Amino acid sequence: MIDNNYDFTLIKAGLLVDGNGGNNLHKASVLIQNGVIKFVGNQESVVAPEGASVKVLDYGDKTILPGLIDCHVHLNGIGDGRVGNDLVTLPDEVLTLQSAKNARKHLYSGVTTVRDCGAKNNTTFMLRKAVEMGITISPRLILTGRPISIVGGHLGYFGEEATGEVECVKSVRKLIKQGADFIKITATGGSTITSLPFRPSFTKKEIQAITFEAHKMGKHVAAHCSSSEGIINSLDSGVDTIIHGYHVESDETFNYRPEITEKFIKNGAFLNPTLFQGRKTVEVLELKQNQGYLTRIESEMLETAKYRNEKISEIVSKMVSDGVQLACGSDASWTYYKTGDFQSEIFAHVSVGLSPMQAIVSATKDSARSCWIDDKLGTLSENKIADILVVDGDPTEDINNLRNVVDVISNGEVVDRENFI
Amino acid sequence: MRPSKKVVLASQIIDGTSMDPLKDHAVLIEGSNIVKIAKKIEIFQIVENQEYDLLDYTGFVLIPGMVDCHTHHNGFGDGRLGDEIAKIPDEILTLKSASNARVALFSGITTIRENGPKNKTMFRLRDSIQSGKEIGPRMNLCGSPVSIIGGHMGYFGGEVTGVFEVTRYVRSLIKEGADYIKITQTGGTTKTSSPLLPAFNLDELEAITKEAKKFGKLTATHCLSTEGIINSLDTGVDMVIHGVFKEPDGTDKFREDVAERLAESRAFVNPTLHVFRARAWEMEKLGLQRKLTKNEIKLFDQHRRNFDQRLIDCSKMIEMGVKVITGSDSSWGDYKLGNTIHETECINMAGYSNFQSFQSVTLEAAKALDMDNSVGSLEVGKKADMVVIKGDPLEDIGNLRNVFEVIFNGEIINRGSKDSNMSYIQSPP
Ligand SMILES: [Zn+2]
Ligand SMILES: [Zn+2]
Repeated sequence: MIDNNYDFTLIKAGLLVDGNGGNNLHKASVLIQNGVIKFVGNQESVVAPEGASVKVLDYGDKTILPGLIDCHVHLNGIGDGRVGNDLVTLPDEVLTLQSAKNARKHLYSGVTTVRDCGAKNNTTFMLRKAVEMGITISPRLILTGRPISIVGGHLGYFGEEATGEVECVKSVRKLIKQGADFIKITATGGSTITSLPFRPSFTKKEIQAITFEAHKMGKHVAAHCSSSEGIINSLDSGVDTIIHGYHVESDETFNYRPEITEKFIKNGAFLNPTLFQGRKTVEVLELKQNQGYLTRIESEMLETAKYRNEKISEIVSKMVSDGVQLACGSDASWTYYKTGDFQSEIFAHVSVGLSPMQAIVSATKDSARSCWIDDKLGTLSENKIADILVVDGDPTEDINNLRNVVDVISNGEVVDRENFI
Repeated sequence: MRPSKKVVLASQIIDGTSMDPLKDHAVLIEGSNIVKIAKKIEIFQIVENQEYDLLDYTGFVLIPGMVDCHTHHNGFGDGRLGDEIAKIPDEILTLKSASNARVALFSGITTIRENGPKNKTMFRLRDSIQSGKEIGPRMNLCGSPVSIIGGHMGYFGGEVTGVFEVTRYVRSLIKEGADYIKITQTGGTTKTSSPLLPAFNLDELEAITKEAKKFGKLTATHCLSTEGIINSLDTGVDMVIHGVFKEPDGTDKFREDVAERLAESRAFVNPTLHVFRARAWEMEKLGLQRKLTKNEIKLFDQHRRNFDQRLIDCSKMIEMGVKVITGSDSSWGDYKLGNTIHETECINMAGYSNFQSFQSVTLEAAKALDMDNSVGSLEVGKKADMVVIKGDPLEDIGNLRNVFEVIFNGEIINRGSKDSNMSYIQSPP
């Protein structure tokens, strides 16, 4: 709710992390007008125009930073381990309810913007409409609607399978007409039963048709890539964000390919490595193992997941040290990774070589850049939308402090995180 | 693991069966059920040396979870017509319903009877609640009401014609999960319908009630005119909704003969008094902001007089022994869910004693839904649905609004912030 009684809101905090990655500002203030940041500086320098009425939110010694931007979520997901093939059997109404629930969890946990990377039919578009109607609340939604997939490809069950350049273009136009903010494609198979994770899906020509059409309309493209051929196809065709991005050959072996990294850097493409997803699976299965009820299939899953996590960490670390830029996206609530814990993925970025400050940038400014919203969001600076996270402690010193959420501010207004209606 | 036993203390326990509150008593909950109600000392003796949670509401009154026999979870309560609601996609109406369900529960309503949503929206919401993904009260559902073509709420998806179609439709509703069958036996606010005229022919209505009875399901009819009430009595309908006494020409005429039949039948009457008043309240509020137009003043007057008439008729029904229960009709018209007690207060105004009014939203309401074996009162063997309120409702029925805590299925409901729980409250002008 916008508080119309005041001309300005003035936020004071002991520490300000602006999201750009530079030095922190001590004893800082942010002046907000109509949900937009007007001025950022130290507490002495930031003052409202004389005569204006000001609402002051004094957070004492707490830290403020940009609201977190999770560039990879699945609002439809339940996060109880069920695979997409099962999830998709739920009716659209039920998945829309789940989406609203997840959206709220994101917001209450400090995520003020999410990019949804694939949902069934119109469910996320419906959620957005409901938010516009005032029925429910959510973070800012960057939506793709349904991911574009080949016939039988990964996430094809969500309802947007296309073949050939013309159909691909048609899918892009249809999604944009429905309100898509970006286009998600699956450039390799994945967990979808009928798909092949270690093989490419679309041809380069098809991907090019998609990126051309999307870019023409001012929309970016993100591609799910579980293996190397898909990454190369995508980067060669102008895809803007590579999701997962694991260097895996068609025989399932991990093999770091320097040319992939070169292409990333040349294109300025982002990598969203979704590191915690696999680690969460291990966490859940190990807990089950300790409790002594792991099925044989699950114990095989556990071994595979452990091996893959290790290899993925190695490869992503190498990509990072070779200069690939990361955008932080959780992939929650896919498989076991429940919504509301984006922080775990940010921490995972630290584990592959980012400093806490760099990890924060990957979840704010760079995440905004990868979503093409950095003109309005991602940093605490003038003329940006006032989406602000207040935490206790300095997260650039100890990244775990990101979990100590004190307040979430969206559009300049404090979110009632105890509103369950 | 938390212990599954809970001992609930309160200064007064009004169990719903007796006018005399229990003092120095406690309720023992195990899992989701009430297993014992007795003197505190006795209860503490039972749980001695056992693990249990103590819920101490000393200073408060403990009552059964309340039952609202008439809700529209799809609705907004902002004055918009059903014709408009029906245009909204099912996914969005399901979201609205989920929010309304939480509001109902947070306001102390632990059981609802839904009276008409679009398509399968409420079934889908209940799926989500039953699989643990959402929370909401116990639901007694009907699916889309059975309507004639162009009849009231036909836009929700239940238009059928003739004995064959109505029978098939009843079966399909039961297959979907309907707990009872709602029929719109006169027109209503639906633009294409005629509130003063009956909807189904007797053979159709009889086929519906017969088919429902065969499966052990109750029936309820929406009746905005006398002829509809008579049809309902003739075919053994279990609940008459609105129960408006109006002649085909629109004149108000209380029919004592019909009221007598109602009193003698097993049917309950859900008079939905406040929903008529809610419109008047909103217009009065508007009038405080700006000058009403001539036409608005005329309408305001009409609504006020209509409410007064309904109140008088309800008083007469009560005097004649008709069983009246609380069914709010929210969020229909201008009446928002979370404000059920406005309706209970109207029934109180119509002549029910405080205790009768209390029962109209607890045990009697549960009886009307045929759910009194599990809810409606605090008795051993029933579900541990209870509300902790401040102030004695038998002194002032309005105290039912002062909800301090809601316990549903043996668990305390986290109702969230105070601010958010103020957001749905509708106050008089
Ligand atoms: Zn994903
Ligand atoms: Zn109704």
